[in-house]
Amino acid sequence: MTEVTILALYGLLVILTLILQATGAMTQLGMGYLLSSRDEQRTVSGIAGRLDRALSNSVTAMALFAPAVLLLEVTQSTSNASLLAAQVFLIARLVYLPAYALRITGIRSLAWMVGIVATIALYLLAL
Amino acid sequence: MTPELTALTLAALLQLVQFGLMAVPANLELGTGKTLGPRDPKTLGAAKLDALVSDRTGRLFRAMNNHFEALILFTIAVLVVTLAEQSSPVTQTCAWVYLAARLAYVPAYAFGLVPWRSLIWCVGFSATCVMLLAALI
Repeated sequence: MTEVTILALYGLLVILTLILQATGAMTQLGMGYLLSSRDEQRTVSGIAGRLDRALSNSVTAMALFAPAVLLLEVTQSTSNASLLAAQVFLIARLVYLPAYALRITGIRSLAWMVGIVATIALYLLAL
Repeated sequence: MTPELTALTLAALLQLVQFGLMAVPANLELGTGKTLGPRDPKTLGAAKLDALVSDRTGRLFRAMNNHFEALILFTIAVLVVTLAEQSSPVTQTCAWVYLAARLAYVPAYAFGLVPWRSLIWCVGFSATCVMLLAALI
């Protein structure tokens, strides 16, 4: 497994998050509203709201993680350390999603923290 | 340059165009006092700037934000396919399908074409999914 494979897997995890978020929104707001132009603003609550926030956090994490992998690949500076950091990132984000959805306070923030530290490590390794 | 990278460049340019399509009417409708200001909810009279614009501009705003999300995923798909040297007719077709879908998405949203906007979104989303899966196989 390479850093690039992990990036592809994370992309699929974000897609899964998006599908869960859309399902939550569909049950609360209805298909009619989702298909409409959404000119009137409506918000979701409960688990659907948490999935909504988890998705936007995952997209931010993705925007930071992807350039780090790109840098490592382009500069050919991948190593065992960078592979480990990428693996830690993926595991942290796999924990983050259910932790947010199921409201596991503490674990969610810890998982987020591990993910961001792993991302920072990747940038430092690329330098 | 591979077809995937060309499609990615054009998709990024589309995002810049979408920014202009949203920003120009938003500035005309709200005035530069509001758009250049610090947008504090109290003085703005709304939580966010996009709540104050017309329906059409609001749709263009949401279309732009939706493309930000889609573009990040598509960038990863192109990146992975390119770096892993997994480019194939399937991934190349997917890249062009994605671009075509995102181009069609903007007018579909602006003119409120229900349910076409959602179907078009689905086409772009599926193309990205297929590219990511193709990179793993």
